[in-house]
Amino acid sequence: MAVRGMEAASQGVATGNSIWSRAWQNHAPGYLFLLPWFIGFFGLTVGPIITSFYLSFTDFDLLTPAEWVGVDNYVRMFTNDRSFAASMRVTFFFVLFSVPLKLAFALGVAVLLNRGMKGLPLYRALFYLPSLLGASVAIAILWRQIFAADGLVNDVLAIFGIQGPSWISNPNYSLWTLIILSIWQFGSPMIIFLAGLRQIPQDMYEAASLDGASKWRQFVKITLPLLTPVVFFNAIIQTIEAFKSFTPAFIISGGTGAPINSTLFYTLYLYNEAFSFFRMGYASALAWFLLVLIACFTAFSFLTSKYWVHYDD
Amino acid sequence: MTLRFDRRQFLMGSSALAAAIAAGVNPAWAQNALRLIFWGGQARADRTNGVIDLFEGAGNPGVESEFLSWNDYWPKLATQVAGGTAPDVIQMDYRFIVEYATRNAIAPLDDLVGDVLKLDDFDADQLEGGKVDGKLYGISLGANSVAMLVNKTAFEEAGIAVPDMSWTYETLKEIGEGFKAANIRGGMRGMSDGSGSEPMLDNWIRQRGKPLYTPEGKLGPSVEDMVEWFTMWNEMRDAGYITDAETTALDTGAPEVSMVALNKAAMIPSNSNQLVIHQSINPDVLTINSYPRIAPGVGGGHYRKPSMFFSVAGSSADKAAAAAFINFCITDPEAGKVLGVERGIPCSAAVRDAIAPTLDEQSQIALNFVANLGDLLGPLPSSPPNAAGEIDTSLLRVLSQEVAFGGRSAQDAGEFFVFEAEAILDRAAS
Amino acid sequence: MTTDAQGLTVVTGAESDPARRRRKRFLGIGAHVLLIAASIVMLYPLLWLLSASLKPQDQIFTSGIWPTLDWSIDSYFRGWNGLRTSFSVFFMNSFVIAALSVVGNLIACSMAAYAFARLRFKGRNFWFAMMLMTLMLPGQVTLIPQYVLFRDLGWINTVLPLVVPKFLAVDAFFIFLMVQFFRGIPRELDEAAMMDGCSAWRIFYKIMLPLSMPVLVTVAIFTFIWTWDDFFAPLIYLNRMQDYTVMLGLRTFVDSTGESDYGGLFAMSVLSIVPIFLFFLFFQRLLIEGIATTGMKR
Repeated sequence: MAVRGMEAASQGVATGNSIWSRAWQNHAPGYLFLLPWFIGFFGLTVGPIITSFYLSFTDFDLLTPAEWVGVDNYVRMFTNDRSFAASMRVTFFFVLFSVPLKLAFALGVAVLLNRGMKGLPLYRALFYLPSLLGASVAIAILWRQIFAADGLVNDVLAIFGIQGPSWISNPNYSLWTLIILSIWQFGSPMIIFLAGLRQIPQDMYEAASLDGASKWRQFVKITLPLLTPVVFFNAIIQTIEAFKSFTPAFIISGGTGAPINSTLFYTLYLYNEAFSFFRMGYASALAWFLLVLIACFTAFSFLTSKYWVHYDD
Repeated sequence: MTLRFDRRQFLMGSSALAAAIAAGVNPAWAQNALRLIFWGGQARADRTNGVIDLFEGAGNPGVESEFLSWNDYWPKLATQVAGGTAPDVIQMDYRFIVEYATRNAIAPLDDLVGDVLKLDDFDADQLEGGKVDGKLYGISLGANSVAMLVNKTAFEEAGIAVPDMSWTYETLKEIGEGFKAANIRGGMRGMSDGSGSEPMLDNWIRQRGKPLYTPEGKLGPSVEDMVEWFTMWNEMRDAGYITDAETTALDTGAPEVSMVALNKAAMIPSNSNQLVIHQSINPDVLTINSYPRIAPGVGGGHYRKPSMFFSVAGSSADKAAAAAFINFCITDPEAGKVLGVERGIPCSAAVRDAIAPTLDEQSQIALNFVANLGDLLGPLPSSPPNAAGEIDTSLLRVLSQEVAFGGRSAQDAGEFFVFEAEAILDRAAS
Repeated sequence: MTTDAQGLTVVTGAESDPARRRRKRFLGIGAHVLLIAASIVMLYPLLWLLSASLKPQDQIFTSGIWPTLDWSIDSYFRGWNGLRTSFSVFFMNSFVIAALSVVGNLIACSMAAYAFARLRFKGRNFWFAMMLMTLMLPGQVTLIPQYVLFRDLGWINTVLPLVVPKFLAVDAFFIFLMVQFFRGIPRELDEAAMMDGCSAWRIFYKIMLPLSMPVLVTVAIFTFIWTWDDFFAPLIYLNRMQDYTVMLGLRTFVDSTGESDYGGLFAMSVLSIVPIFLFFLFFQRLLIEGIATTGMKR
């Protein structure tokens, strides 16, 4: 009956001609379609979010009720916490390098695979396979086998006469093994790029070819512009996820951020504060700071997106 | 479009499924069964379930058990306590018992001693180990002691004699020299780097007459002590007696990445009850020995530590019933046989006698080791303060890595350790 | 115009030039070589996993990548029944949760995305920003309040906390994704339909959804795989072993304080990839279907 109501509402069937009923008719479809989200947002999401905000001003050890401490957590964060600074450095470095590289691989391979070559489904599945391993405990073991001093990478380097360090346990290089792990799992943005490429109507390419445009020109003039909404999406999402990245560092460093905090991702640090050291209040403050950081970045991205993202509406 | 038609059917089917599942909701705690949570692997779960079967078979109420790996256990337990849904019987660790006890997440058991908890032949020091502020909060499930895991096969290969319990840090250096010269297995060292090992530090400082943490919860070692500690390991590392920085950093805590498992060192600091674990993933023959003495004849570093406890949740509805289950686990000889020494050496003398003939080789070695520590045994330390875990993982280990990689001098590390540890202790105490 | 093996239309206007043809074939071979090399790099860790699952326990970490002479599929049997509850139960649980999540996300997120992308209503931008905000907060700190919330609802120890949120469009990721895709569909179609007297609902059902097959398939694939791979939520909300999912079961194989069954872990890890891989293979064919060109003339 909700459907019929929406139909009636948007067809402007006379249910009264007052301002209110007209306003309802105009806005009703939007609200009705959003109804599940509203229920979810107000019922399940907003409560815990507000609670976590409140907790960020308290001392909460999980086992006893929270105690109000005002802005102490935030003050400590900025003035007296070595690990906070370290984890910020590590996280920014990770975001800076893993996101562009991952997107580049994802887009490049997607374009390559979109040609419709022989064996396409197989390749597509193969490239997506690493992403299926996700948070598996096995990944940590695998990565060690590859990047330890006697691992595969050094075996390959030895062929060229280079003696590599123990990548995964050297504080100067350990973060790179995690960056590589993130890039290795580029399957998800690749699939999204593929879906975006698939949505570009073929007849546009046909028309362009008939006009004599080269493949490269077609790519630059047709593909890229029409793909910008998807590029925008992937860039934002991958950046947000990179800032929040937890599982790779958790399983590879055993939750320690070792060696010497070189893999202490911000959310790993937050998690330890909350669950290992019973400082959930402080962890909440850390989380909210991250949210503000990400929100600023996202807002900036949205504001500047009008200059390069090309929607069809 | 055919897909649309299928989708509708699919939608209807799955809504029905969801409704069915929702209708089948049956919260576990609606029944009268006790709930138990513990960490461990399938091996421990098998044993525990065996004991539960015995318990239920003797006419007692049912017990529902849940187990997780160590890493997952603590966040889940903390969540359950925070949400008020903690199970009745909780497996507890020495490291956290103070945190949970002082916050009433686990209940004092003194009232139940005597009628429900029969502890007459229970080892006194193990009983003490479960006390916080004088009250009993956890029943020790077994004692273990720190022990040096030794790869006998590697020693034979290098032609070096396996040390016995009289060995000292000097002997360690000789062994290190020996392995360096022998150069087996791609440069296997005598031992792993122990500078970041809290148990080794504890053992070492106790032999010098100081505890790691005083009964008042303050730091025991002085700056000079810590500088000497880091310097000692620096010398051994520079001389090639122990594993270098990069190699040591491969160890993230799991048995399969220990220096012995990776064939990088012939000895690593460990615990008596972990011989079985390390042996299971290593084709060589392993055994255990004591930690080294600081000089010949000096003892007192070791102590018999409760490996883990069973505690009763503060929120448990029937604490007596929970305690009755715990009592069964630690006093019933049949239960003792099922549990073996997997959680440590049983603390009841009667149970120990009952199970001795049934143990396998590694368990026998562990049992004998703990029983024969002799002058190496010192008094049980007071319970560690709240922040001890943090000092271990985020200070000592990180510092030891910094020193090993050359980022800090031993002098600097010693000073910083004391400074920062005291700051952490202060923060936790407030 | 010719049609290649995929049934796709391939522009071949300038194919008569032999030099061009030769270059095309060379590029084709080059691309293949590149892809094959890249595939090996991508797959190496998985090959290691497979090989480790076939080795006896004490050889896993000491021998190299290739299976040894005494290889066996023992680990698979041991792993399958190794925990008291058989893995078939875990697979069933994982499948149910993942399937329900797919349905929930497809319905709820597409509806929300349609509202944000196409419908005008007061406060749209504000709610859109709120929706995005939910993506930015690390989940670790809402864990406890959410746990308390579900406890008050009596949903602990059931699959409800894992599945019901999907039907309430909690996954802002998919809403955002679909918004971007919907905005890429030309508005003229909507407008034409509206002039024909179609309601928002009909436009949604008859125009937007059919034209969004690639993104819907993407949402289905990702939802299935991510709920399959999730261990944290099941860890917190499921107490009984017979409710555990595959990922949770895998984590109980390895415990740093006790004996671990690595062979079993690797064997079950290999098996756990199979369903999601199959799901992906099956659904990715739908990704191939591009947009039907009827009605799309610009």
